[in-house]
Amino acid sequence: MTTDAALAIENVGFRYPGHDEWLLDIAGFALDRGEQMLLAGRSGMGKSTLLHLVLGLLEPGRGVVRVAGTDIHAIKGARRDHFRGAHIGMIFQTFHLLNGFTAIENVMAAMAFSDIPKAEHRNRARALLDRLDIARQDAMPDRLSVGQQQRVAVARALACDPELVLADEPTASLDPENAGGAMDLIQEICRERGAALLCVSHDPSLVERFGRHESLAELNRARTPQAGDAVGA
Amino acid sequence: MAITDTTFITRSLTARLFSTVTTIAIVALGVGLMLVLLGMRDAGEAAFRRGKGNMHMLISGPQQDPMVSVLNSVFYAGTPRTPLPWATCQSLAARYPLEWAIPTQLGDSYRGLPVMGTTPEFFTRFQPADGVAWTFAEGQCFAAPFELVVGAEAARVAGLKIGDKINLTHGTPKRGEPGHVHDEFGYHVVGILSPSATLHDRAIFSDLTSAWILHADERRERELGPDAGLTTADELIDSDRKITGVYARVMTREGSGTPAALQQVFDLLRSDPEITVAAPDQEIGKLFKIVSNVDRIIVALAATVLVVGAITIMLVLYQAMEQRRRQIAVLRVLGCSRMRVFGLVVTESAVIGTAGAVAGVLVSLVGSRVVAGELYRRMNLVIDPGLDPRIVLGVVLGTIVLASVAGLVPAISAYRTGVIRNLRPIA
Repeated sequence: MTTDAALAIENVGFRYPGHDEWLLDIAGFALDRGEQMLLAGRSGMGKSTLLHLVLGLLEPGRGVVRVAGTDIHAIKGARRDHFRGAHIGMIFQTFHLLNGFTAIENVMAAMAFSDIPKAEHRNRARALLDRLDIARQDAMPDRLSVGQQQRVAVARALACDPELVLADEPTASLDPENAGGAMDLIQEICRERGAALLCVSHDPSLVERFGRHESLAELNRARTPQAGDAVGA
Repeated sequence: MAITDTTFITRSLTARLFSTVTTIAIVALGVGLMLVLLGMRDAGEAAFRRGKGNMHMLISGPQQDPMVSVLNSVFYAGTPRTPLPWATCQSLAARYPLEWAIPTQLGDSYRGLPVMGTTPEFFTRFQPADGVAWTFAEGQCFAAPFELVVGAEAARVAGLKIGDKINLTHGTPKRGEPGHVHDEFGYHVVGILSPSATLHDRAIFSDLTSAWILHADERRERELGPDAGLTTADELIDSDRKITGVYARVMTREGSGTPAALQQVFDLLRSDPEITVAAPDQEIGKLFKIVSNVDRIIVALAATVLVVGAITIMLVLYQAMEQRRRQIAVLRVLGCSRMRVFGLVVTESAVIGTAGAVAGVLVSLVGSRVVAGELYRRMNLVIDPGLDPRIVLGVVLGTIVLASVAGLVPAISAYRTGVIRNLRPIA
């Protein structure tokens, strides 16, 4: 486990306040810079909770979560928010694009809270959307197809050149035909930009796409692995 | 151009344009109302003070309320009840150091317009507004009984011109009542005054003798019956020669508006039981002090409208927060801090307040002119609708602060938005 890994989970435990039992109890794993990993698990296993711990939106009961070598939970308040924006890109299952903002503005919005010079925002966003074949960059998201919306969401996640990209069920909103293409794109662009990718999904068809895949049921010592937990294993 | 906090605020405001505009309109209404009332309060008093012209005091019959006598004789509101003997007026100049004492006699009217009997000095020595002398637009001052000089607005309203012959009505009949018309005495219009922007513009002026003859004729008819014949100046007796007021000015050194002896003369006159003396300046001040109580209630109402505006801002933004929680959660994931979210909402509220305040200033500028125009049209009161910049600034800043405070509740709600809860996938 290297300290300059894109993501390092070290003996992390999480339980909700007032509960004695751990919901998550992970001995550890790391994701090197540029590495891609699928974390598989059924719904309700705690995949999203783990992502929220990595994003610094939840506080672990114990252990350390390092992002780009920094213990994200050691940073407090607004500095943590700034750190998150600069070092982690997030792709949501239902994209969560901002209403009232065009495709390019959605990408630029991610840079609004960063240290990237304002003069560069539009060009960077345009280049990313060009790369992702979004021609109608000034269209509102609801005027774009679902596949295009997801590509805008991918561009937004990569706008600040993060070391780590988190993808939460990225194919769940897409039909099987588009799902493959979308994953290709996400993996390809993360590779191009040297960003590590942690993809959490219950979709077994994604296993073969990742050189490295783990089952959350196996990583999580707090729960007994059940049939179907280890996707594709 | 990059996406900035301004962009987030602008998009939020335009995303719900109708409620934004409505809220701004409510705030603008409150600010406009407040500024019009505050502006009119001062300007109204100034306009009334202007109407007293260059007189220092008004002398009228005994046992009258000074304020009522000022309203009667200077602002033509009602007819004075207690007359003053002509001899008293004549003796005033001899007994007191007065620069001039101009008699006035009210009691008749023409089509609801007051008719004042006076002397030519009214046009040569009395100034309708301090520093503004009378000028004739047409014709000249009356030189004989039954000649009339008509105020500019009276001429316009009644359609009078030089050479017109009219009959006056005894008293001022109530609307719809015919009144007693002095058919037997015809008056000729010999002069029309230029506008003075005072209530005098709505009056008609005759010489004192004809005013006395009119009333002496009624006396003689009562005493002698229908065969009394038409009264002439020679048939006037002392009891006919009555006046209702005297405009007086204390001797003043050139260049000085307020003579040193003014208070002394005023006190001397006040001790005379045969007369009532009033200082129009003081009475107008007292009048506005009474009016200011009503004024405070109206200003309080305007302030209430402003507070309602602030509550509307709070409700609109709070409602918007409920609809924007997912957006706030996404912004938080993108790196926006809680405090920045808080600041965005408070700023949005302040922007609504600022827009409302600016629109309110425009509303007040238009509103003041409309009210001033209406007051001039109805009462010949010249009101300068200009607003004191300090008052405007105070109201604008107060509104922005109020709007910002109103934004605190939705801002706290936005600050406390649960990111995880609001990032759940949309069904």
